[in-house]
Amino acid sequence: MPFSKNVLLFGFLLFFCSFSVNAQENYTINGVVKDSLSGETLIGVTLKFSAISQSGTSTNAYGFYSYKLSPGEYNLSVSYIGYRSINRKVSINSDIRLDLNMLPDNTLEEIVISSEKRNDNVVNAQMGVAKINLSEIRNVPVLFGERDVLKTLQLLPGIKSAGEGNSGFYVRGGSTDQNLILLDEAPVYNASHLLGFFSTFNSDAIKDVSVFKGGMPAQYGGRLSSVLDIRMNDGNKKEFTAEGGIGLISSRLKVEGPIIKDKSSFMISGRRTYADAFLALSKDSSINKNTLYFYDLNAKVNYQIDDKNTLYLSGYFGRDELGLSETFGFDWGNATSTLRWNHLFSNRLFSNTSLIYSNYNYVIENFLEENNFRVNSSIRDMNLKQDFQLALNNSHNIRFGLDLIHHTIAPGNITASATSSVNEITIEKRKGSEIAAYISDEWEVNDKLNLVYGLRASSFYLFGPGVFPTFDKDGNITSSKTYDAGKLVKSYFNLEPRVSASLQLNEFSSLKSSYTRNTQNLHLMSNSTASSPTDLYIMNSNNVKPEIADQIALGYFRNFNNDNYEFSTELYFKQLQNQIDYRSGTDLRGNTNVEADLLFGDGRAFGIELFLKKRFGKLNGWVGYTLSKTERKFNDIDQGRWFNAKQDRTHDLSLVGIYKAAERWTFSSTFVFNTGNAVTFPAGKYQLNNKTVYYYPERNSNRMPNYHRLDLSATLEGKPGKKLQSSWSFGIYNMYNRKNAYSIDFRDDPDNPTRTQAVRTTLFGIIPSITWNFKF
Amino acid sequence: MKKYIQNLKLSLSLIFGVIVLSSCEKVIDLELKNADPLIVIEGTVSNQSENHFVRISKTIPFDQTTSFNGVKGAQVTLKSSAGLSVAFTEISNGIYRSPRFRGTPGLTYTLDVLADGKIYSAESTMPSPVIPDSIGFKTLSFFGNSNIYPTVYYRDPPKIQNQYRYILKINGKLQGDLVFEDRFNDGNAVSDVIIYDGEDDIKSGDIVEIEMQSIDRNVFKYFFALSQIGGNGGPPVAPANPESNFSNGALGIFNACTKSTKSVMLK
Repeated sequence: MPFSKNVLLFGFLLFFCSFSVNAQENYTINGVVKDSLSGETLIGVTLKFSAISQSGTSTNAYGFYSYKLSPGEYNLSVSYIGYRSINRKVSINSDIRLDLNMLPDNTLEEIVISSEKRNDNVVNAQMGVAKINLSEIRNVPVLFGERDVLKTLQLLPGIKSAGEGNSGFYVRGGSTDQNLILLDEAPVYNASHLLGFFSTFNSDAIKDVSVFKGGMPAQYGGRLSSVLDIRMNDGNKKEFTAEGGIGLISSRLKVEGPIIKDKSSFMISGRRTYADAFLALSKDSSINKNTLYFYDLNAKVNYQIDDKNTLYLSGYFGRDELGLSETFGFDWGNATSTLRWNHLFSNRLFSNTSLIYSNYNYVIENFLEENNFRVNSSIRDMNLKQDFQLALNNSHNIRFGLDLIHHTIAPGNITASATSSVNEITIEKRKGSEIAAYISDEWEVNDKLNLVYGLRASSFYLFGPGVFPTFDKDGNITSSKTYDAGKLVKSYFNLEPRVSASLQLNEFSSLKSSYTRNTQNLHLMSNSTASSPTDLYIMNSNNVKPEIADQIALGYFRNFNNDNYEFSTELYFKQLQNQIDYRSGTDLRGNTNVEADLLFGDGRAFGIELFLKKRFGKLNGWVGYTLSKTERKFNDIDQGRWFNAKQDRTHDLSLVGIYKAAERWTFSSTFVFNTGNAVTFPAGKYQLNNKTVYYYPERNSNRMPNYHRLDLSATLEGKPGKKLQSSWSFGIYNMYNRKNAYSIDFRDDPDNPTRTQAVRTTLFGIIPSITWNFKF
Repeated sequence: MKKYIQNLKLSLSLIFGVIVLSSCEKVIDLELKNADPLIVIEGTVSNQSENHFVRISKTIPFDQTTSFNGVKGAQVTLKSSAGLSVAFTEISNGIYRSPRFRGTPGLTYTLDVLADGKIYSAESTMPSPVIPDSIGFKTLSFFGNSNIYPTVYYRDPPKIQNQYRYILKINGKLQGDLVFEDRFNDGNAVSDVIIYDGEDDIKSGDIVEIEMQSIDRNVFKYFFALSQIGGNGGPPVAPANPESNFSNGALGIFNACTKSTKSVMLK
């Protein structure tokens, strides 16, 4: 498409002409970096060009890089964790394309002594970002031996588990719905199975995981706290392989291979739990007729049309099924799909166009004859993203694009048979669009100073049809207006500046600082503290305003011992507006006027995070510690005083150690400690109709007991050299059987009803697990 | 419809039960704060010709023996929107009784309590009565546990927002106090299954007594909020005191209701 290409380029060059003054005499080197065995593109590979001074770039989410250099000879060093580094000479005297293949290196044993620096974490202006290495996910012990991205993530500072065994997480004082979870760019609305004990992400199918908890780049938006960007494997382009595992809870299988060698490949990966297989063994008919399982399926195909065009189609489908004999059925799940087109407009202008669909729904059915009913609720997104990356010259990398999302939320549709006492009720659908445009520049100001600065303009439009009531501060309807289909009900516009800078103090340490504003137009109404399948999302409206967060962060980054140790500390302060809570007695089920029951207030959070990681050697791992405070304030709660948010935990510590003891044995261990969540316990009691009722003082003024736990795991790899490679994983969760409190409830003493007692529920004591994995 | 959340609760415990073989409960010692004593008022006026009662007490510390900590010497007056004014007399520590009279559905009643020099007022409107047609029993089995639950059959008046409260006694002993509404079954022949939380199971030969009340919206919200604190399917709000209809910071509720009681024996 030469026309659009020229128009676009002209527009951009006009816009950025101030940067391009000295760009003519330079040449461009670009290409794609791949795994030499599987042909998978590699994300975030560091490329350094050294002649006089060292400068460089890294590959984007599609393995592509582009860099401008003045003519001359350069030493190129290419490094990526888990791969053998490449060192080679390149001479630049024209534009060149250089595709690179890197050889996987699982040993991690030796520290490669070289002049090459692995100090990207120090130099890069980006802060508040964490990457999880997939080998870490593989080795870190987890509940029931189910490898889990979200649970490994919770071991990083600033990221906290939403509860025992829960895949939900809190980032820097945000709530769980303030995390944007993307799977191949598609938003995933309910990222958990079985009430949060398992995440929807099957780690077999995942290539790369990054999480941004601060200094959010301008291309991301829509949530206040964090972005978790998960990319699926593309599929092996060289040969067919299969791998899988058999565990206590589930079995998994992945098959991948070329469709056309080196040009096109596929990957398909599935997982299913079989807890209900045990139920069927029971002789009791009220047990063996129950169902309880989940499954998920990831699939992807890609086709490299030529050097300039690649297409990717990926999809996820997952479902939980629950049935109680013939009385009750409940199933829920996500479906997402992403069609992507990578296109090189020139050797410096990379474009990605994504068309995304995401759907989450749940269905509840009651089969009892006189009050049978069926509830159906869903949220559906259609999303178009256009992203451009322009390597303007060797000191400016520009990124800009558009993000259009159309949301349709059907909160609930109740149907019933004619004989049922339940009426058919449909809660009106809501339709809204988010339109965002962004631009950012990654600017190497000089040898010491790097800047990433950008702006995201985000707008939200709520459309008819429907009846839109307006509520006063007590939740009473003051007016109500009916809108026709497609009529604009309400719109909001927000500018979100994003700036982060790093100042290199010397070659192994730097200071970084950032300011970001984020806004959020979708809000989660949750029925439960755990991740619940009946979670309901609402949009901005005439009553609900966008949530806004401003975050300032300051960090010190330092590497030791030839970059073998990395240390960082970040200090953050966050201010939140238009936070949402509920009036007491709110019922979210089938509620046509949910907005009447909402309270709006402010939040603030601050904390300091410390992180020390040993990256290489037989023993590696990390220590993360967070000291933090998170508060909320609502006019109608505790007379408008600041109170601790439920996710407020003063101390949060995690230790992770992975030890490769011998060629075939790897041992690992994690230890976590955190202050108990802020909760509200009774401060008195009284009698009402002869029942004991508790009196509650100020909100969240008590604490759950401290939480701590030690987990161990061991992996035995099969003998190398065989066609079928297999391994055994053994794990122990909660090694010393700590009785951590999942909840504390109050009740009359059954033996002496005049006394009242506190009862602690512990979910998981010591739990062993075993998994057999294979690959061929 | 109400039941679905009960089912949900059961199914959640099912998931926990199946996966979490090691989950356990233990009574623990907990240091709790002690709030200053607060006044609690529970008042009822009904459409029956009877003595109506107001109970006034104060909260006590959590670790003390549970008892009714009555407030003496209060002045209790009930007024209706039709101009009636009734004074209550104290019959024992904290318990105040009206003379025998019948409340009128449709009227708004105001209860004024003067205690310790402060006036606490509440308003409640007595709804039209809804009488149960019959009471039956249902056996529901969840995961190997079969239980018998009483079921109330009645016809819900159409086009009116109705709220109901059931007080369940088995052999004279209080076992359940639940509220329902007609949001999902307005105007229909309804069967509300009373999935109660009391200790006792219903066995053959037991006398089951159910008092069905029609209550106003605020009273319903009060009891609904109270049930949510027990973890019954609300949003994850921190437990808080349910919103009382009394002024001046008193806890408790004033309930102008219509009521009818039915007893059956399970054969």
